[in-house]
Amino acid sequence: MIRTAKTRERNLNTPLWPANYRTGMWAWTFHRISGLALSGYLIMHIIVISSSTAGSQGVNFDKLLSQLTQPFFLALDLLLWAAVLYHTLNGIRVLLFDAGIGVRNQKVVFWGFMAVAVLAWIAGLVLIFPFIMGRPPVRA
Amino acid sequence: MPQDSAIFKIQRYDPEVDTLPYFTTYNVSLRKGMTVLDGLLDILDQQDGSLAFRASCRGAVCGSDSMYINGAFRLACNTAIVPLLPREITINPLPYMRIVKDLVVDMDPFWTAYERIKPYLINPETAPERERYQSPKDRKHIDEMLDCILCASCYSSCPMVWSDSEFLGPAAFLKAYRFVGDSRDQGQRERIKAVGHENGVWRCHTVFNCTEACPKKINVTWSIEALKRRSIVNRLKFWQR
Ligand code: SF4
Repeated sequence: MIRTAKTRERNLNTPLWPANYRTGMWAWTFHRISGLALSGYLIMHIIVISSSTAGSQGVNFDKLLSQLTQPFFLALDLLLWAAVLYHTLNGIRVLLFDAGIGVRNQKVVFWGFMAVAVLAWIAGLVLIFPFIMGRPPVRA
Repeated sequence: MPQDSAIFKIQRYDPEVDTLPYFTTYNVSLRKGMTVLDGLLDILDQQDGSLAFRASCRGAVCGSDSMYINGAFRLACNTAIVPLLPREITINPLPYMRIVKDLVVDMDPFWTAYERIKPYLINPETAPERERYQSPKDRKHIDEMLDCILCASCYSSCPMVWSDSEFLGPAAFLKAYRFVGDSRDQGQRERIKAVGHENGVWRCHTVFNCTEACPKKINVTWSIEALKRRSIVNRLKFWQR
């Protein structure tokens, strides 16, 4: 006798289902995501900048920059800033563990670093917000 | 009124007859102080003699009945039913291990990894007449690692184990440190060699799933990190090669 099931039954009782993730698993997952995002950004950055300077008939570099400083792209920069902060700080967290610091308090260390990330992100927001609103602060 | 019965939803799979795993639901009447293992034994006894699972000591010492119960790695014998209610009790075998039948999984890869780290005392000196002395302080250093009951929860919880069959896995590392950190042992160099490579501790991404999974509340990651440092120090000691 062979019992053939037609469809796989939905099984959420697995450690791969996000509801079952713990702090470390979230930290690791976001580290992968932010890492991929940053690699993608770097490749894009290199292509955009280098192609804008290539050839006199090519895209004019100044024109490109003025487009990239439009509010939409500045808002995207805030996403980039978030990814950079997360990847850097969580990376330092993992390095600390390798150095034997804080392994037994990994969750506290994680939330501590995330607090730093949030503060730094807000600082970035404060700096960039006037530009998004089209009101660059007047320099003395 | 307290519930007098619990629903057990158990993943079943017999590779010889089933093409895919499926769930079977049982209604288990509750007695005071019942554990999940008691429930499984009742099902086996009164409802379904074909249900397969492993268990032996019933006291969280043998490590046979580790399972994935309601979103966490647990020993069935060490898990009371009442705190899990009123949700139904969903039981899967240890995830990402080959299923032999129902809740019984193939532990061979786990034991193979365990053997690779030489889990026995290495000390060429002849043993003294009474004992190989160890100070209470040195003994305390390996207390945590000695608690491991080899239940494979940590092994089955690790994303690196899921994706790399050559990876030794957390329990083997913990046991490696149990000897590396033991003042009586002299097999440090061989053991560090056995774990200090890309399918050893360096595959670890510090996800902490093993530490979260361990039913004995062992911080497995601590030992892995300690081995990483030992492995670096060993590499630097070129004059000993
Ligand atoms: S370290 Fe904990 S989870 Fe891993 S095998 Fe030992 S007792 Fe089980």
